Amino acid sequence: MLSKNKLLDILTILTVVLFFGVFAMVLFYAPIEVNMGLVQKVFYFHMASAWIGMLAFLVAAVAGVLYLVRRNPRSDYLGASSVEIGLVFTAVANFSGMIWAKPIWNTWWTWDPRLTTMTIMAFTYIAYLLLRRAMDDPARRAQFGAIYAIVGFATVPLTFFSSRLMRTIHPTIFGSGETDMAMNAPMYQTMAAAVVMFTLLFAVILWHRVRLMAARQHLAGLQAARDEAFDGGGQHA
Amino acid sequence: MKNSLKTIRVLVWKDLVQEWRSKDMLTAMFSFAVLSLFIFNYAMELDPASRADLAAGIIWVVIVFAGTLGLNRSFTAEQDQGAFDALMMAVPDLSLIYFAKFITNFLVMVFLTLLVIPIYSLLYNQALFAPALGLVLLLGAWGYSAAGTLIASMTVQTRMRDLLLPILLFPLLMPVNMAVVKAASAVLAGVALADVSGWLNLLVVYNVIMTTISIMVFAYVIQE
Repeated sequence: MLSKNKLLDILTILTVVLFFGVFAMVLFYAPIEVNMGLVQKVFYFHMASAWIGMLAFLVAAVAGVLYLVRRNPRSDYLGASSVEIGLVFTAVANFSGMIWAKPIWNTWWTWDPRLTTMTIMAFTYIAYLLLRRAMDDPARRAQFGAIYAIVGFATVPLTFFSSRLMRTIHPTIFGSGETDMAMNAPMYQTMAAAVVMFTLLFAVILWHRVRLMAARQHLAGLQAARDEAFDGGGQHA
Repeated sequence: MKNSLKTIRVLVWKDLVQEWRSKDMLTAMFSFAVLSLFIFNYAMELDPASRADLAAGIIWVVIVFAGTLGLNRSFTAEQDQGAFDALMMAVPDLSLIYFAKFITNFLVMVFLTLLVIPIYSLLYNQALFAPALGLVLLLGAWGYSAAGTLIASMTVQTRMRDLLLPILLFPLLMPVNMAVVKAASAVLAGVALADVSGWLNLLVVYNVIMTTISIMVFAYVIQE
């Protein structure tokens, strides 16, 4: 479990290579958007980060269900790691969105459903981390974390639909007949590459983080055993 | 089934009697609500027209904030006096404890609403006695109590307790907040209930989902 993992090493290197590849695609391959100009290039990272934010919180909710059913600490590590990573990517999506919004919408912030939902979701998972920090017993912490991850994720679509009942100016890329952004083939390809690369990046960081948590737990167990061995020996001598 | 209903009735009655004898929580919630209405008055000195538009929002905010005081207390008696174990042994099914606490919290919220609305009407000289408004606020109180009871049962067992409850609860309540405020303002502006059915449907869906999930996971919250 704690030994070196060949596959993980290969994936890590692959992710780094792909990262620069996608970066080059965004800069040199994807054409400049007609209406928005250079600033539209932030879109590839913005959209991919937002996707990872959603994916990470979905993974955390699934890990929560798994934990409640099987009580395997690894599911807890998976959920907690996924939330941490998801929060970082949600922050990237939000701030890159603001950078994009300022020149295009002439405002840093608007009460658009996607923005609002993303931000409320971020606060849900900040609360998740606070809840974990306020609990000492690892088993109870895992249990409460699992429950909150499930309940929190269940409200995300409802938050989205409720904020969608109001008007929006956010460009709709999927799921509507007309798009507000002029996208051609190289742009779609760059977007797909960014999404694939970010998903791989997420998986690799997640894997590293879960291993780190497991290693830490293992170490704590060893230290406890050592302390007990020394103390026990002292008492009996 | 009959046995379950009886258990719930006994548990709700126990909590209500306990609260009625001290009235600590009700007094605190009432004072908090009235004081908040005063703060709103001075924070937004508005002309009567815009004040009328804001009524639904102000009332709901006051109810939500005052409500957290009650939620924070809803499990403290059991937690502080170690009565959780006894309670768990006394009921045939653990989810009945959730049901009972949920009903108690819901009744407290309704009681609070019944206090806040006439006081608001009185202070701001605005007639608010509309059955449609009552329906919207009842649906809101349901969603609020469903989520709040589950979260309170968790936070009471943590180190940060009262501090943590609103932080965990408010993000989950966003759909309820939006739906209640939008539907209530529309209703107060004279729009028919049928025209805000989107918001009402959303509230019902939220309430059903939240209540169902809470019942499913509640056993994990109180079992070691």
